[in-house]
Amino acid sequence: MSAGADAGAGVDDGLAGFDTTIHAPIRLRVCALLDAAGEAEFGLVQKQLGLSASVLSKHVTVLMDAGYVEQRKAVRDTRQRVWLRLTARGRDAYRGHLAALRAIVGPSDPPAAP
Amino acid sequence: METNGVHGDGHGIRLTQEQARSALADTEQVRASAAALSATPWPTWFFVTLTLYTAALPIMCGGMLAESDWLLPGPAWMGVMLAATAVYGVLSAVASKGWRERTGVALRYDVLPKRATVPLAIGLPVVLVGSALAFRSTGKPAWLIAASLAGVAASVGFHLTFVRLHRKTT
Repeated sequence: MSAGADAGAGVDDGLAGFDTTIHAPIRLRVCALLDAAGEAEFGLVQKQLGLSASVLSKHVTVLMDAGYVEQRKAVRDTRQRVWLRLTARGRDAYRGHLAALRAIVGPSDPPAAP
Repeated sequence: METNGVHGDGHGIRLTQEQARSALADTEQVRASAAALSATPWPTWFFVTLTLYTAALPIMCGGMLAESDWLLPGPAWMGVMLAATAVYGVLSAVASKGWRERTGVALRYDVLPKRATVPLAIGLPVVLVGSALAFRSTGKPAWLIAASLAGVAASVGFHLTFVRLHRKTT
């Protein structure tokens, strides 16, 4: 994955994990939710992130095609529910991406103003 | 097409510190809301079940391990223990399934910090079984009552911690 930033050459090592597939805002949020929750139902992800089913489905498909997310189908109240979770590869990619973002922000970043 | 501040030029990525900070803040917000869901407490009926089972465990162990019959014959204590554990197992499975369906997230056992859960995971079984052994050697049921109260305190403490965590993050 190609990566670089205008934050300076000193952070190049930290940027190795930058992942353009994950960095898209909705996919980044999906990954953050799945990383924190372990596994989450499609409808819950949709509700938590305020997305339509079609938009979420589109982004989940991208993450699944990249091998970052897998789904499990389960029946509840006679209706089929889809549960999503990060794969080991997806978890590594997400955490690597967070490390890259932190490298860009920099270690001496002052606290954000209120 | 959304970009989240990424401008590809075919060779690299340009992302400002502010954009990276904003993306990190975004993930932290999502993580906090997911953590609140993971900290959803058990329903009251299962909290009561869990507390009663924890309270009964040292008494049942004490009855099983007693040198002579105490309140019930030894084999009867064994039967009570097996029946209670089987009922608890079934109710636990029902509660776990209901919890997952209600919250929409996986049931996790690492929501609380390890410095709180590891000592309890080791200490509580030691207290529960140790009290039965102390009762066997001394014949004093106070050991069992003390262990039972310790179990109740741990169960109530954990429940209240989850209630507080859930409220704090929602």
